[in-house]
Amino acid sequence: MAVRFQYFPSPQPAVALLARGLAIVLALVCAGLVLGASGASPIMLGLRVIQSTFGSSFGLQDVGLLVTPLILTGLSVAVALKIGAWNIGAEGQFYAGAFAATGIGLFIPGPTVVILPLMFVGGALGGLVWILILTLARAYAGVSELITTLLLNFVGILLAYYVSTGPWLDPGGHALGATARVRHSVPEIWGDVHWGFPLAILLTLLVAGALNFTRWGYEVRLAGSNAQAALYAGIPFRRHLITVMLLSGSIAGIAGMLELAGTVHRLQGGISNNFGYLGIMVAVLARGSALGVLAGAALMAVILNSGIILQTQGLNTSTVLAITGLILFFTAIGDELAHYRIVPVESKK
Amino acid sequence: MSALHETVARPPPGTPPIVLFKGICKYFPGVIANQGIDLEVRSGEIHALLGENGAGKSTLMNILTGIYQPDAGEIIVDGYAKTFASPVDAIAAGIGMVHQHFKLVHAFTVAENIHLGWPQTPVRISAKALEARTAELAAALNLAVKPDARVEDLSTGEQQRVEILRVLARQARLLILDEPTAVLTPSEARELFKALREFVSRGNAVVFISHKLDEVMEISDRISVLRGGRKVATEETCDCSQKSLAKMMVGHEIVLNDLRGRAAGATSVSPETVLSLREVSTHDDLGNVALSGVSLDIRAGEILGIAGVAGNGQKELSQVMTGMRPVTSGRIEVGGASFTAADAEQFAAFGVGHIPEDRLHSGLAPALSVTDNAVMREYKKAPVSIGNWFRPRAATALAETIAAAASVAVPDFAMPVRNLSGGNQQRLVARREMRIAGKVLIAAYPSRGLDVGAINTMMRYFVELRDAGVGVVLISEELEELLNLSDRVAVMFHGKIMGIVDGTSTDIEEIGLLMGGRQTTNAPLQSAVH
Repeated sequence: MAVRFQYFPSPQPAVALLARGLAIVLALVCAGLVLGASGASPIMLGLRVIQSTFGSSFGLQDVGLLVTPLILTGLSVAVALKIGAWNIGAEGQFYAGAFAATGIGLFIPGPTVVILPLMFVGGALGGLVWILILTLARAYAGVSELITTLLLNFVGILLAYYVSTGPWLDPGGHALGATARVRHSVPEIWGDVHWGFPLAILLTLLVAGALNFTRWGYEVRLAGSNAQAALYAGIPFRRHLITVMLLSGSIAGIAGMLELAGTVHRLQGGISNNFGYLGIMVAVLARGSALGVLAGAALMAVILNSGIILQTQGLNTSTVLAITGLILFFTAIGDELAHYRIVPVESKK
Repeated sequence: MSALHETVARPPPGTPPIVLFKGICKYFPGVIANQGIDLEVRSGEIHALLGENGAGKSTLMNILTGIYQPDAGEIIVDGYAKTFASPVDAIAAGIGMVHQHFKLVHAFTVAENIHLGWPQTPVRISAKALEARTAELAAALNLAVKPDARVEDLSTGEQQRVEILRVLARQARLLILDEPTAVLTPSEARELFKALREFVSRGNAVVFISHKLDEVMEISDRISVLRGGRKVATEETCDCSQKSLAKMMVGHEIVLNDLRGRAAGATSVSPETVLSLREVSTHDDLGNVALSGVSLDIRAGEILGIAGVAGNGQKELSQVMTGMRPVTSGRIEVGGASFTAADAEQFAAFGVGHIPEDRLHSGLAPALSVTDNAVMREYKKAPVSIGNWFRPRAATALAETIAAAASVAVPDFAMPVRNLSGGNQQRLVARREMRIAGKVLIAAYPSRGLDVGAINTMMRYFVELRDAGVGVVLISEELEELLNLSDRVAVMFHGKIMGIVDGTSTDIEEIGLLMGGRQTTNAPLQSAVH
């Protein structure tokens, strides 16, 4: 019997999930083929990656360190998507949070018990300030946040470069192009992994819970899905847009603060490690779901960690970027294909 | 029927049909638009294509004019198989279409529009000469147009004539009209029919797409009925009746009935006004005046119909009556209190339900679940919310109640509401709004996109509300529907109420004149405005 593919408005969940798994496998196979062609043994490399990531507590600790900022930047992007805004600026807000936390940590005297929470609040506020003006521009003048958030990234990145090589450069001369070490640090929970990790998970659960189990969350989901319907239902779209975008900026700022106070301890250029941009990928992999961010961030952390291991094998880091790109690429194809079902063609009379 | 039919020149036997469709199939994502359609259009006939919204009429004609390519089947023009890659190919073969939404350049004059994209237009020509050519064409084809007028200054009826002239000037032998009378007043429609008769009497043909039974009976020689993408039948018009056509269209017999009468126990129209507008004016989204000085009183227990050609301010009227659009001047009172500055939430809280014109754009969030959409009006109240907490389970329970009342079968309440059919979405919205419409229900085009059975159900909803003492405002383009239901009918034209006529003592012709902007002196006006 003849069959044909027919497009359906919503994908089949099982097929979509399967397609995502296949996308990762396909991306790895592609990367393996390229590596094989360039003379390396992909299987050996693969085994080594798996062994060094999951075979030792050090590997798992590294993943734990990477996953913390990825969860938060992913959450930041995903939360903005709930109200229908694209926060491409998690990178800049990350820097702003790290910058604010460093300022507080370096220049306000006091015991860690006081200063660390202050740094946390400062980090959140830093991210909030970074998104504030363009949030208002979007809410009141309809200026596309897609462009403004992106542009402010460069300002944030350069600001961190400037202060860490200029006014705040380590006077002790211990670090080149970085500030002095911030005394106050987030306590460690397991090896190198600090309390930021459970905190990031907690924040994600809180946001997911608020979206699904509060009136505010319902209003945000409705307003984000269809602003016209929000007007119809008497829901103040603009107010929700502003609060959610500010929340998104704050979360990215917290990511920056935790990375500084938990992992790096000095503000320096490149401290973000592209976590802000990778957060977009995490949110896309999570299909904009707050809980899905946890899975997306975990996957991304493993890939990033593999990259570090591959680098020790003398491979270029761009291999990893290529793999992440391929995964996103195949995922997009898979998501589209999951809309199709095979249906039999009706025979003509 | 009329004497018109006897003037038709029948082609000699053996002449191939102008167009022959053979087994045309067209599929869209999730939809079978056309399936195995065989149809012939002969020269000298007006061939009506009848069917409900979504029956596949427009798709079939878009295939004929090269806008879509068929997935299967072939088109034979004058005995030769043809494929049209674009409308340009189709018009070269003598097939032209006038779409429901005109494709004219508003800032250009009539003459410029006629000559736009036409190979026969001289490369260098003065505006005067263009206008002279246009006048010649208009005279030759007997279609009165003003060559030097800008299209934006013309009435819809005049714009349609320009569209038709543009097609006929390109030597079209088959003219396709997609619901041409939807935008016309009754007298404009009669002029159009005369022009069409003349056109086919020269051996040409017309395909007339419509879902209005009466005009199809009046104008056509043969009628083909489509249903669900398939052809049900082709019949000689003289062998048909409105009843038999309606049956073919919907697949079962329908009853058009007068629903104005009240049952014994029902509330009669109360003298009390629940919602009143006084000299209300407002702008549309583009800042143009959409309503000017509208005064209306809606009484408890009545159905007030709003008639008028779509786009004359009805949408904005429904929006100011539900708090979705601020007024620029005038006052709104609801239940005796001033609601001039109230928002949608306050209107809904008072008991004003609203079935919006475009359910997918304002009544629903298509990507959210059926549950989320069903509770849109009651999510602030227990049991769906307690304090600031939203309870998904209670929400689903409420959604199940609403779906059951609307007799909509929902396989999964977590699936996006866009997966429901248009009719089911509409029923769900209607039931949701009825629950909060304790005082007033504003229903804008509630029957759009519904089949006849679903329309009858919807009308019964309104009667149910009216009998419970709710004031219902029914905005519709279907005069028959309005006259079946309304106690009074207000007619809108260019943002004004032209007059309010009694639902019992009027006929379609009077309302039609008001719809066309003409103030009649003999119409039984209850309250004249301006």
